[in-house]
Amino acid sequence: MNDGDISFDNVSRFYGEVLGVNRVTLSIPPGITSLVGTNGSGKTTLMNLMTGLVRPSRGVVRVLGMAPSESQKLFRQVGYSTQFDSFPRGLTGYQLVHSFLRFFGYSSVECTQLAAKAIEQVHLTEAADRQVASYSKGMRQRIKLAQAIAHNPKVLVLDEPLNGLDPLIRAETIALFRKFAAEGRHVIVSSHVLHEVDLISDQVIMLSSGYVVAEGQIHSLRSEIQEHPMQILIRCDSPGVLASRAFEQDHVVEAQLLADGTGLLVKTRDADKFYRLLNHLALDGIQIEGVAPADDNVDSVYEYLIGEEASK
Amino acid sequence: MNLQELAQIFAVIRLELGKTFFSRRVTWVYVLAFAPVFLYIANSIYAPRQQARLAAIAVRHPVSTEALRDIGIGSKLEEVTNQLGQPYQQRSGRYRAEGGSPNERASYRYTDGQSDVTLFFVNGTVRRVHWDDPETLPKVSLIFATIFQFFYLRLAIFFGCVGIFANLFRGEMLDKSLHFYLLTPMRREVLLAGKYLSGLLAAVVIFTASTALQWVAMLWQFKGPVVVAFLAGHGWGQLLSYLGITALACAGYGAVFLAAGLLFRNPVVPAAVVLLWESANLFLPAALKKISVIFYLQSLCPVVAAPGNTMPARLARLISDAVPATTIVALGCLVTFTLLMIAYSALRVRQLENNYSTD
Repeated sequence: MNDGDISFDNVSRFYGEVLGVNRVTLSIPPGITSLVGTNGSGKTTLMNLMTGLVRPSRGVVRVLGMAPSESQKLFRQVGYSTQFDSFPRGLTGYQLVHSFLRFFGYSSVECTQLAAKAIEQVHLTEAADRQVASYSKGMRQRIKLAQAIAHNPKVLVLDEPLNGLDPLIRAETIALFRKFAAEGRHVIVSSHVLHEVDLISDQVIMLSSGYVVAEGQIHSLRSEIQEHPMQILIRCDSPGVLASRAFEQDHVVEAQLLADGTGLLVKTRDADKFYRLLNHLALDGIQIEGVAPADDNVDSVYEYLIGEEASK
Repeated sequence: MNLQELAQIFAVIRLELGKTFFSRRVTWVYVLAFAPVFLYIANSIYAPRQQARLAAIAVRHPVSTEALRDIGIGSKLEEVTNQLGQPYQQRSGRYRAEGGSPNERASYRYTDGQSDVTLFFVNGTVRRVHWDDPETLPKVSLIFATIFQFFYLRLAIFFGCVGIFANLFRGEMLDKSLHFYLLTPMRREVLLAGKYLSGLLAAVVIFTASTALQWVAMLWQFKGPVVVAFLAGHGWGQLLSYLGITALACAGYGAVFLAAGLLFRNPVVPAAVVLLWESANLFLPAALKKISVIFYLQSLCPVVAAPGNTMPARLARLISDAVPATTIVALGCLVTFTLLMIAYSALRVRQLENNYSTD
C-alpha cells in the first residue's frame, strides 16, 4: 500500500446489529475499479467509508494518505456522486454545480468557468438553466457527475453512475471515465450491470454480504477459480480433429462440438497450455479462424464466486 | 477561523436562507409569528368603534361615573335601578344549583360613555361588578407585555424555532440532501455555524418584523400626539427592548433546537419536554426558575406582566415569585447558555454520519 492508493486495513462497519462490511483489507490503485455485488453486499458502505460519510467501526481507511475525516483536505482530491437523487431545493443544474464550487474557495469567475466546463463534459449544457427538480433520472445522474468532477478531483467515487442513462450518453460517460483513468486518477464505480463493468474496469472488487470475495483484474481472478475450468471457444475448419487432439491433453476436461459445425467449446484447467497447443495445431495445418475465452469475464467470475455462494 | 471558512459560512447562509424563507415546511412559522399582528389590528379597529358605541349608548342611557362607582357588591337591585335607571342591556335567568334551591340570576350593563360596566345579580343582590375600561396606552402596553411574555415568547417564538432550527440538519437528513454539504471541503463545525446563523437570521427577521408590526398595530388606534408622547417617554426604549428580547429568544431557543435536531430523530419529543419545562417555570421554586431560557427573557422585559390576572384564582395561587435577574446577569446567562448549546452541537456534528437508510 502507498500514499497514492486508497487503502482499507481490516475495516469493518456495523449498523447496529447489521453488518455493512467486515474485515476488508484492500488497496485500490489508480484506474477504473468496479465494485460489484448484490444489493446489500456493502458497495455503498465501502464508498461512504472512503468519503467519510460513515466511519469504520474498526480498522483504518486512507485515501491518498488522508483520513476520510479530514474533509477540508479530502474533498479537494475526491469527488463523490452518491446514489441519492436529492439536491438542495430550487437550484438549476448550473447553480447546483456553481454553489458547490463556492465551498472550494474559488472566485465567482472560476466557479462559473469550472461549472460550465463540468456541465459540458456531461453534455448537459442545454439543460443547465433548468431546475434540477425538473430533470429526468438520466439528467440527474449527469448533473451529479458534473458536480463530482467539477473541482478536478484525483479520486472519483461513483455510485451506480450509469443508471438511467441512455445508450449514447452511457458510452460518452464511459469514455469520460476512461479519460480520467488514463490521466492516472482513481475512478471507483459501483454497478449492477456486469457487462458494463467488464467493459470499463481495470480491476474489480467483488463483494458479497459485506465481505470482499475477490479483487483484482478479471483475467487474474478467473484463472484463480480452479473448480471451474476455463471455457474457450474456437472457430476452425476441423473441429473434430481439434477436439480429438485436445482430449490428448490431461488439462482438457471437456470439448463440445458446436451444433453448426463451425467450431468447438473446450473446457481446460490450464488455458495457457491450451493456447500453446493451438499454436502447434495451427502450424500443423488446422485453419483456426478465431479463439475467444467464453467465461473470462465479470459475469462468469461473478456467477462462480457470488452466484454459487448466494445459492448455498 | 480563516477567510476561506468565512466564505464557506456565507456560502451556506446564501443557500440556506432561500430554503428557510421560502420552504413550505415553515409556512406555519409565518402564521404563528404574524397571528398576533392581526389580533392587534382587529383590536385597533374594534376599540374605537366600541368607544363610539358606548358614547352613543350613554346619550340614550345617561349614567355618571360617580353613580356607577357607588354601586358595590351587596347593593340591591331596587337601589341600583333607582340610582342608575334602566340598564342599556339586561339578561336574566333562573338556575338551580345541584341539590339547592333555584337562584334568580341577572346581569345589567351600564356605561358612562367611557367604561362598560356589568353588574351581576344573584337573587336581586350584586355579587360581582366588572369594569371594562377604555383602552389607554398604559393599559394596552400591559396587554402587549402579557401577550408578548405568555404567548409570543413561550409559544410563537418557541415553536417557530422548533420549525426552523430543528430542521436545519434533520430536515436534510429526511430529504436525503445533506450530503451536498458533507461532500465539500468544509469542516463540520463551519457547516454548523453557517446553518445556525442562517436559521438565526431567518428567525430574527421573521419574529422581530412581527414584534415591530404588533407594536405599530397596537398603537394604531391612538391619536398621533398621544403616540408621539408615549414614544418620546418610554415607547422607543420598550420597543427596542422587545426587539432585542425577540432576537435573544431566537438565539437561545434556536441553539436548543439546533442541538435537538442533531440529537433526536423526532424533534417533537424534546420540543414537548422543553415546552413543559418552560411553561412550568411560573410555578417552579425560584432556584429552578433560573434553569430556563424564559426566566432570563422575562427578566429583560420592560413591562412586568402579571400572569395571575389572566388565569383562574386557584391556579394563580400556585405562581411562585422570584426576583428577576439583572440585565447583565440575564444577558450573560442567555449568551452563555446559547454558546454552550452551540458547542455541544459542534461536538455532535463532528460525529454525524450521513447514513440516510438508518434515519
